[in-house]
Amino acid sequence: MLRSFRDILDRASLGGARRLVVPNPKEEDMPLLSEAAAAGLIFPCLVGDGEAIKSMIDESPLSEKEYEVIEENDRQPALNRALEVLNAHDGGIFMQGGIPIQNVLHALHDKTRGMIPKGGIMSFVSVFPPLKGEKLILVTDTYINNHPSVAEKQQILTNALKLARVLGIKVPKVAALAAIEQVNPSIPSTLSAAILSKMSERRQFGDAVVEGPLDIDCALSRAAAERKGVNSIVTGEVDIYLVPEIDTGFLMAEALVFFGKMKTAGVVMGTSKPVILDLAFVSREDRLARIALACLLDGEGGSYG
Amino acid sequence: MTMIRTLKEFSMSAREKGPKKFAVLAPEDEEFMRAVKISRDMGYIEPVLVGNIRKMEEVAEKVAFNIDTFQKIPQTGEQAISNLGINMLFSGELPIVGKGQIPTSYIYRSIIREEAKAVSGMTVSVVSFWDIPGMDHLVAFTDTGVNIKPGVKAKAEVIKNAVFVYHLIGHPRPKIAVLSGQREIGGTLDSYKDYDILKKSADAGEFGECELVSATSFTDIFLGDKNHRDGITDLKGDGLPHILVVPCLDTGNILCKLDFFLDVTRSSLVATSRGPVCIPSRSDFSDNIVQQIAMCVVLADEMEKGEQ
Repeated sequence: MLRSFRDILDRASLGGARRLVVPNPKEEDMPLLSEAAAAGLIFPCLVGDGEAIKSMIDESPLSEKEYEVIEENDRQPALNRALEVLNAHDGGIFMQGGIPIQNVLHALHDKTRGMIPKGGIMSFVSVFPPLKGEKLILVTDTYINNHPSVAEKQQILTNALKLARVLGIKVPKVAALAAIEQVNPSIPSTLSAAILSKMSERRQFGDAVVEGPLDIDCALSRAAAERKGVNSIVTGEVDIYLVPEIDTGFLMAEALVFFGKMKTAGVVMGTSKPVILDLAFVSREDRLARIALACLLDGEGGSYG
Repeated sequence: MTMIRTLKEFSMSAREKGPKKFAVLAPEDEEFMRAVKISRDMGYIEPVLVGNIRKMEEVAEKVAFNIDTFQKIPQTGEQAISNLGINMLFSGELPIVGKGQIPTSYIYRSIIREEAKAVSGMTVSVVSFWDIPGMDHLVAFTDTGVNIKPGVKAKAEVIKNAVFVYHLIGHPRPKIAVLSGQREIGGTLDSYKDYDILKKSADAGEFGECELVSATSFTDIFLGDKNHRDGITDLKGDGLPHILVVPCLDTGNILCKLDFFLDVTRSSLVATSRGPVCIPSRSDFSDNIVQQIAMCVVLADEMEKGEQ
C-alpha cells in the first residue's frame, strides 16, 4: 500500500517513462516536465507552436532529455491533435498545458476524439497525505460535477475506488458524507449516502465498505462516532471521503490545503487515459506527485476509467 | 467591549462575567456533565439541570460531581426538555441555555417556535468559530446548523446574525466572504449567484457595519490575484475574513468540523434574540464543551448590557 507522495513517486518511477502529451505547453511547465523526465517518469510530447516550444526547451534542462514536438500553431487544433496522438497510441497521459480548463473538458467529451467511455462520467479525485496520518486519503468529487445524482455518485465512487486500488488499498473504506449521521428525508445528501451504503452492503462496489450517511466528525473520529451511537469499521479509518456536491468538495479540498497545510495531488478519473488538470491550489512541488499518480494509472493499462 | 480575538480570551473573560444562571438540557452523558462541573468550578455558571433526574444523578456520580444543591427540573422527552429550557431563556428566567446529549434539531425547533411567538423576526442560524493558531482574529463559519439550503434571503439573515455576534465581541466592521464552489467550469452555481446579490446588498449598507469581500473560495482569499500557491507558506490573518458564509448545511457542517483533522479549535452557538444557546455537538469532549460554555457566558453578558 502506498502511504505517501514519496511512495507514489518511487512506484511510478519503476514503470518506465510514459508518453505525456501537452497541448500548448507554458513556459512555467518546463521545470516540471524537466524534473519528471529526469525522474524517468515521462517522455514529453509537446503539441503547439514548434519554434516557441523549442525555444522554451532550449532554455530548460529538458533539452538534454528525450522529447517530441508536434507542430500545430493554433490553440484548438493543438488540443485536438494532442487527443489524436493519445488515441493513436497505447497508454499515455494528457496534461492540460496552456489550454483553458473548460476547453479541455469540452474536448474530452468529443465523440470522435474524446476520452470518456460511453455511459461513463468524469470525476476528480484529490489525494492528500495528512500531516498526522499514516496513510493517504482521497476526497471526491472535488472539481468536476456540480450536483451529482445518486447514479452519478455511484460512478464517482467507482472511479475513486479504482484509484484507491491502484494505490494498494485492497478494501477501501468510504465515508459517504452528509451534514448529519442520521437519514433525514429533508436532507438529500443523507438519502444518497444511505443508498450507496446499502449498495455496498450488497457488494455492488466489490471489496469496499461504504458507510453513510456519516457526518465529518464521525468519519474522522471513532470515539466521536461511538458517542453518537455510530459503530462501524469505517469511522476513524476512512480512505475515501465522498462529498455530497461541489460546493463542499471544492471548498473542503481547499480547506485541507490552506488551513491544514497539506500537500495535494489529484487526477481526473473516468477517462480512458489519465488526465492532469492544473488547479491553482496545487503547489509546484506537488505537481510532480500529480504526474506520478497519472503514471501509476497508466500502468494499469488504461482501462481504469 | 474589548475586542476578542481568541477562544482563550472568552475563557478569561467568562471568569469575570460569571457565574451566570445556565439551564443545561439533558446532561445525561459523562462528557457533558464533566463540562458542567468544570464550568461551575471555574466560576462561569450556576447550573440548572433539566431532564431525567435519575440519569443526571448517575452520570454526576461517575464524574464525582455533587449536584445536590443545584436546581433540578424533572422532564422527559427530548422535545419537551428542549421546549422547557428554551422557554426559560425567552421568558427571561435565565440568560443562557445549553444542550446535553440530545439532537440539536429539537433545540432549533424550540428556538424557532419561541422566536415566532416573540415576533422577533430573527432567523435562527448557527455560528461556528474557529480559533486558528497564528491568526489575529476568530473566524466564523455560518450557518452550520439550521438552514439546509438557504436562499439569498435566508443568507442575508444569516449574515446579519453573524455581524451582530461580531459586533458583540468588539469587532466594529467585520469582513465577510460568501463561499462558493464556483470554478472555471460547470456554469454559474447558485452559491455564486447568491454572492453576487449579497455583495450588492452589503455595499448598500443593508447588513450594517461590515465589509463583504470579493472572494468566494479559499484560493481567492489566500492567493488573491496570484495564479498558484507557490511560495505561499504563511497564512496572513488580515486576508482571512471574519465571517465565512457557507453555501448550504452540508458544506457548513463538514467544513466547520474539520477541526477533528486540523490544528484549529471550534466553538459554536446560536445567538437568539433573547440570549445565546450553547449547542456543543454530541461528539464533542468536555474541554471543548467548557470552551463553548465560556463563550456563551461572555456573549450573554454583552447581550444583557445591550438590553440595559
